[in-house]
This record gives sequence, structure tokens and C-alpha cells, in this order.
Amino acid sequence: MRLSIIAGLAGLLALLGCTNNPYPEVDRDQKVLYSSFGEAPKTLDPAVAYTTAEHVVTGTVYDSLLEYHYLRRPYELIPGLAEAVPEPETQAGERQTYRFKLRRGVLFHADPCFALSQQGRNTREVLAADVAFQLARLADPAVNSPVASTFADILGFTDFAKRLSDLRKSGPDFTALPIQEQYKRAGGIEGVVVRGDVELDIVLAGPNPQILYWFAMPFTTPMPWEAVAYYDGKDGRPNFSDHAVGTGAFRLTVYERQHRFVLERNLNWYGTRHPEAKAPGATFPTQIDQADIDAGRIDPAYAGRALPFLDRINFSREREGIPRFNKFLQGYYDDGGIIKESFDAIVKDDRLSPEMVARGMRLDTEVEPTVFYVGFNMEDGVIGAPAGDRSRNLRQAMSLAINVEDYLRLFLNGRGVPAQSPLPPGIFGYNKDYRNPFRQPDLPRARALLAEAGYKNGIDPATGQPLKLTFDTGNTSAQALLQYEFFVSAWRELGLDVQIKATTYNQFQDRVRRGAYQIFQWGWVADFPDPENFLFLLECSNAQSKSRGPNTANFCNGEYDRLYREMKNLPNDDRRAGLIKQMVQIVETDRPWIELYHNEDYNLSHAWLVNSKPMGISNPAFKYKDVKPAMRRRLRAEWNTPVRWPLYLMLLLIVVATVPAVKTYYRERL
Amino acid sequence: MAAYLIRRLAYGAVTVLGVLFLLFILFFTVTDPDDIARKAVGEKARPDVYVQWKKNHGYDRPLMLNRTHAATDSRRYTDTLLFEHFRRMLTFDFGRSDADDTPIAKRLMAGAGPSLSLTVPLFLLGLLVGIAVALFVAFFRETYIDRAVLVVCMLTMSVASLLYIIGGQYLVGMLLRWFPISGFDPDAAVIGRFLALPVLVGLVTGFGADVRLYRTIFIEEMNRDYVRTARAKGCGDARVMVRHVLRNALIPILTNIVIAIPFLFTGALLLESFFGIPGLGSLTVEAIQGNDFSTLRTIVYLGALLFIVGQILTDFSYALADPRVRLS
Repeated sequence: MRLSIIAGLAGLLALLGCTNNPYPEVDRDQKVLYSSFGEAPKTLDPAVAYTTAEHVVTGTVYDSLLEYHYLRRPYELIPGLAEAVPEPETQAGERQTYRFKLRRGVLFHADPCFALSQQGRNTREVLAADVAFQLARLADPAVNSPVASTFADILGFTDFAKRLSDLRKSGPDFTALPIQEQYKRAGGIEGVVVRGDVELDIVLAGPNPQILYWFAMPFTTPMPWEAVAYYDGKDGRPNFSDHAVGTGAFRLTVYERQHRFVLERNLNWYGTRHPEAKAPGATFPTQIDQADIDAGRIDPAYAGRALPFLDRINFSREREGIPRFNKFLQGYYDDGGIIKESFDAIVKDDRLSPEMVARGMRLDTEVEPTVFYVGFNMEDGVIGAPAGDRSRNLRQAMSLAINVEDYLRLFLNGRGVPAQSPLPPGIFGYNKDYRNPFRQPDLPRARALLAEAGYKNGIDPATGQPLKLTFDTGNTSAQALLQYEFFVSAWRELGLDVQIKATTYNQFQDRVRRGAYQIFQWGWVADFPDPENFLFLLECSNAQSKSRGPNTANFCNGEYDRLYREMKNLPNDDRRAGLIKQMVQIVETDRPWIELYHNEDYNLSHAWLVNSKPMGISNPAFKYKDVKPAMRRRLRAEWNTPVRWPLYLMLLLIVVATVPAVKTYYRERL
Repeated sequence: MAAYLIRRLAYGAVTVLGVLFLLFILFFTVTDPDDIARKAVGEKARPDVYVQWKKNHGYDRPLMLNRTHAATDSRRYTDTLLFEHFRRMLTFDFGRSDADDTPIAKRLMAGAGPSLSLTVPLFLLGLLVGIAVALFVAFFRETYIDRAVLVVCMLTMSVASLLYIIGGQYLVGMLLRWFPISGFDPDAAVIGRFLALPVLVGLVTGFGADVRLYRTIFIEEMNRDYVRTARAKGCGDARVMVRHVLRNALIPILTNIVIAIPFLFTGALLLESFFGIPGLGSLTVEAIQGNDFSTLRTIVYLGALLFIVGQILTDFSYALADPRVRLS
């Protein structure tokens, strides 16, 4: 009993000095940005890392040759480590060359791996050969990069992979060689030509202007061979997939993958060492949109200043949304999304609630380069192209029955923009005034079209029963089934009998492979902000039935394909816009898809976080952001003073409840 | 006793083999290597990337019979997923995670510390509070205190643990602001700050069941003849309760305690997940969500081993605590 009392008192004393601040006191005046992550990165190898969670680290630690302008929309490429965005030079036989010239004097992060190439040194200058090495890694089958096929247009890219693979099969002598030596002996990639220390030619077999976007991603970052060779997971060294040696404005100093990671300012960064160069990727943009200033997103005082502004970025793992959001409300995270459970309390009529405004919070929304849609299998005998005009009318009618505004309100708190075409806002070719005539809910017109298709009131004349169709899915979660039921109910209004066929993902994939499906729901998140990255989803050579490509609708239209090929290689000009318009019109009439929505990102930030503008493209922008520690400290203290009276009350209640019993007992006993 | 131990170990070995076979059947009928590969390399990856991933991770083998080898060749049976599964588990060569390629043994070692830092204080405090309160209410049985505590016990048992977690975070972390809502720092100076709330929530969650069980045991003991004899000999209440009732009630309590000890290593799934504690419970949740078959089978296998160890330990501790029990 005595022990319990002592423990209780100790607990009480501990509570009197308690705080809900999860961070050390010494950091309170530091320029530290606090953020969280839900999904842990699987790898930091920039040749493999593909998820948003991974790009948060790789996109910050590894600089790319090109970058996106932080403020301009539609997105615009600017030079990063390269001195300029290269223009294509056409060679004989349709070949095209992009010549990259790297900035001189760019250093890698200080790291012991560099002692491999020269005893005693801990960094070295970035060379064009480092970019060539990384491109060879992308081709290397052992690296297994998910984007390798994207670079197949580089001359000799696939041949290099094959040669490397054959040499590895030839015996252990070759595989025992250091990786850079293996690449050298395999002959390198023909279309990657290193011209001196800082110049590099990328030779393409044919025009492919979209390839430049891939040089604005960490996949193509300069990679020192020393890092790949040194971090092999042996003798206490981590694996290369858990260690980053880049050139970015921040370097990774703590990496506990499942728990937390810390990025610290890189004092060797080219922008910090040479601020006088005013490199576009190392200087805050001088042209700032008035809308960004008015919304409080961007502070114009930062225009032209040298990046970065933060000393450190702390990421903590938060697996669950509720604690993450509550910690954001307490001021312990500087920004964050909004959980579904609290959406209505935080956002009212698309604006922040007065309580949140009073706390100085800011809500930024941005439509992400995504498209979600219901697709039809165009090779199906009933719903697809073989049934000719009849099936076209049927698809048009089904499209008219879906009210996407209701869908967004019911399932996504309205966080989405109804899609009129495959192209989302912010992408060249998007027309904000365009209204797809088959994407405005109109049941009478839908019924008329259905009758025209020969299915009056949804009845199939062959059976005398409602026309039976299947909605195929590999998602069996309750939430997903509820969403599919939304579509089925809408089509039931027309008299159609659509059955949801929910199976495991593999069974669904198997049905897709066999072409045994009719209707499905799918989504696409763009890799880069170009209309090609959306319109290729309906190009015939990408059809699932032909090449296992992403055209799951198996849509094949000769005219669409001709326009696609012409549009693909054009710059963003009026001619390209005209071609895109024609392609969108074909999709509008043929209806291989019912376009649903483009996802909208809602981001909350506290008043002390400056220059935070959402980027729909997965491209972390920490070097542009800044915090005001004094304001943060004051507001955190104001919002988090402990409330102690319930503790005293609880103790009092226990005493009050217990004492009479004890007294009575002893009175009776004595 | 040695014969008993050998027999129990033999039963345990059969159980482990059964668990391993069940695991194999369960995992490869519910999911398949394609599914695991898809999760690992992402939705957008081309089919050749899946194929290469499966090859790199040894999932390109047939399930139980490799017909590419001749009937007389032992590789017909050993070059299969089934054999590889048994080989890895029985030799404790757990391999690498399907999700992120980390050595599984390394992740288990890294997660054991945070898990134990939560489960050990929770276990000890739970025991202390449970026994203290149960002794108290048993002493005041059939009074308003006893009835009030029983009502509280029933209430705490009727509410889902998830609600305690979310409610605890909201009440203690958000409204009262006593402790951080979530987070973890192994630094001895601050670790208490992060563990206070999950331990408190864990205590409340287990309070009802523990107190009711211990109270029943204590009351049963209090009605025995030796208690009456002790009182007749003039023993004080405290002495009777602590020296006699508590000591004799320890035998059934001990079985409860010893079987729980091995599971302290496997962590607390929900508590760790919601409070951001990077322990083995979190690892399990993550392996389930990420289709990380190799990690999950290791955790389930180790769980089965620990359960068997716990049972054997319980039997032996029972014999040690009560000289009347003989193991044969």
C-alpha cells in the first residue's frame, strides 16, 4: 500500500511538470520545419523510388538536372543542376540529341564513400559521367527500376541492358567486378555520350520531347559510383537503398525508416556556395502572382533571395490520421491534410471555419494532375465497339446517368473537380469553359439514347429482361463497394441491371488479361505535367489486349491515334491545342470512359509557415519554405497550457468515495 | 520432470510444424506472389518489373512440386516455395522483407526495444494496479465500493479498445494537454513523456478484466478455512490479506502472468500503431497492410514459438509455486 502511495505521488509530481510538447526544448527557436509521414519509404535509391513518400526524401536530397518553377502554373521547366533547359537537335534518321551542360563546382554531400576513389576525401565535384552512371543503373535489370521502359527511346538503352545481362550470365568473374566496371565492360549506353567533365549528350532514336520531364525527377540525378559501391550492407554499412548521397539543398542526417528522418541544410550546396550566380533553382522566384500574395501563401519579401531558408526538416511517423491531425491542431506539425472525420468542422462552404481562421491557419487547395474514370471494355460484344452505334448510344446514356457532384459530396467531402475530359486543370490543352455534353446528368436524354440503342427502358429485346452488364473490380473493401453501388443505382434508374463482380485483385487482373470484363473504375496520377501523359491512356498501341499497356478500355480509334502521334512531339502551341481539342471530341462521342473527377488536394498550414504553395506534381519544395519560430513558440504555448484541475478533482473523488467505507468498516470491526 | 519437458517440447515441435504448414496454405491461397510483387514495386510498374522482382525474391518457384526437375532429382521437392518456407523458418534465416528489402532479423531487433519499453511497464503497472484494486474491493466485498468498482469494470470491458485510444488521445493529449498525443523518443530523459499516455490507456483497457479475475480469485481464497484460522489466531486484516490470501492466490495468477510474459516481445498492435511507437506491434500492422508476407510469416511463427514457450514455462512455474503439483 505504501508503495502504491509513493508511486501515486511520484506520478502526480510527474504530471505537475508535464507537457504535451513532443520536441526538445532546445529546438524551439530553431528554423525547423515539422512534418509527418504515414507510409514509410521502401527505398531511397532514386532509380527505384517511385512513391510520394519516397520522393519526399529523394526529391529533397537529390538535385535533378531540371526542375519545375515553384510558382508558375501550368508547370514550367527551369534549369536545376543543368545550366539551361536543352533544345532538341535533330540528327540524321530522325534521331534527336539533347545536350546538357552541368554547372561547374557542384559538390556531393560530404560522405565517407568518396574515400573509395581518393584516399582522405569526403566529397567531389559532380561530373557528367555521374549522370551517365545513373542512366546505366536505370537500364540495369538487377536494379529493376520501375521506369526503365520510359528511357527505351535513348539509343542503345535496351541493348545495353541485354549485353549486361548476358555478361552476368557468362560467369562469376564478371559479376565479381565493381558495378562501374561492369557497366564499362558492357560498353555503356550508345545514346548517352559524355563530352568532357560537365557535358552530356542524350541521343534519342526518335523525337520524344516528354523525356525532358524525366530529367526533372530524382530518377536521373547524378549518382556517384562510390556511393553505390560503398553502401553494400556489409561490415556495418547500410544498404544503398537506406542511404542517400546527393547534391540537394538538404542532406539526410537521420534515417530511421519506420520512425523518423531528419534533413539538415547542406552547407556545400551550390546555391549556398555561389549565391551570386543567382541560379534559377537556387533563388526564390522574382515574379510572384498577386493571387499567391493575397492568399498569404507567398511572402513577396523573399523574391530574389538565395535558397534555402530552413536549417532542418523533421519528419515523424504518424500511421494514423487522427493523432496526426490533432498534433497539427496543437501546432506540433506545421502543415498537413484534413482527415475525413474533421472535414466538416474545418471547412465550411469551401472555406476555413471561423475558428480555424482565428487561429491564423491557411487553407490551400490545388487540383492534382489526376483523372479518375469509369471505363468500358471496348472489345466487349455488348458494351464495346463490336456492337457499333448501338453500344455507343448505350455508353452515352450510361454517362449521362452519373452525377459526379453527388459522388464527390458523398464519398470525398467534395474534394475533387468534375472531369469533362481526360485532361485536368493546369495541364496544357485543358479548357475551363469546355462542358462535355455527355457529362451533364440528364436522365430523359439518357433514356432517349437507350431507346435509340434498342434498349427501351433498359430492356434487352433478346431476353425481355433488363439488360445485364457487369461492373468488374479487384477491390472488395466495404467503402469501394459502396462507391460502385452508387454507379449501379444510377444505371438502375435507366432500367439497366448492372451486377458488381468483386473478386481479388489477381482474379480481376486475370479477367482483364482474358478480356472478360465490361465496366471498371480506374484512376491515373500523372508522372509529368504534359497532356501526352493523359491522352496516351487511350492510344491503341497501349491497349491492355495488345501490349498489356495502361489503355484498359482497349480503345482503338485510327483518327485518335493519328492525332496522338502528331500531338505527342509538338511544343505547347496553338497547333497542339487544336489537335488535343479534336482528340477530346473523339473521346466525348465514343465514350470509352465516363470521366469522373480530378482529385483536389486540401492542405492546411499554420500562420508561421511561409511560402508554402502546393505542387500537384510529386516534387518536394522545402528549399522555398520558411518558418517564423518566435510566432510558433508563442502560439504553441498559448494553445497547449496543461489543464490540471481534473486531476485534483479525480483524487478528491477517490478519497471522498473511499474514506466512508474504511471508516464504517473499522467502526463495525471495533 | 525431464521426461515431461521432452514430451512437451515434442508436442511443441509438432505444433510449430503445423503452424508453419497452415501459414503457407493460408498465405498462398489468400494471396499469391503476383500480389506481393505488385505491392512491392507499385501499380505503375511494367509486367517485366514484376517478373524480375519475383525472380529476385525467389517467388518464381512452384508451390510444392518443381516439375522442371526430373522425378529422381531431389530439387523437384527442394526447389519449391514450400521447402524454402520451412527451411527459412526452421533455421531462423528469416531473409529480407518483401516490402523494403531490409533484413527481417534486423527489423525485429530494432523493434524489440520500443515494444518492451511499452509492454513491460504496462504489464508491471497493470499487475500492480489490478492486484491492489482487487485486494481492496475483495476486502470490502458486498459494499458500495465493491459494487461501484464492478460497475466500472463492466463499463471498461464493454468499450472497444480503439475508443480508449482515440478518446484518451483527445482527452489527455488534446483537452487536458498533459502528455504528447503520439510520438516516441528512446532518450531516457524524455521517454516517460511519450509512454505515459499509451500506458495509461493500456491500463484502463485491461483494468476491468484484470480486477474482476483477481477479485474472484481473492474472494475464493478468503472463504477458505486457513483464512478463518488465521483470523481466529488473531492475525490483522492487512496480514491476512497480504501474507495469506495474496500468497495463496498467486498460483492461479501466476499462470496468467507467465503465459503473458513471452508476448511482451511481440508488442501491442493498436497502441503502437496509434501512438507512433516503432515496435514489433507496428511492424505487424505494417506487414499486414503492405502484403509483406516474409515479415508477417516470421512474426506469426515467432508468436507461435513464444506461445509454446509460455505454456511450458507456465507449467513449470505452477510446479514451483505449488509443491503439490508434480510434473510427470
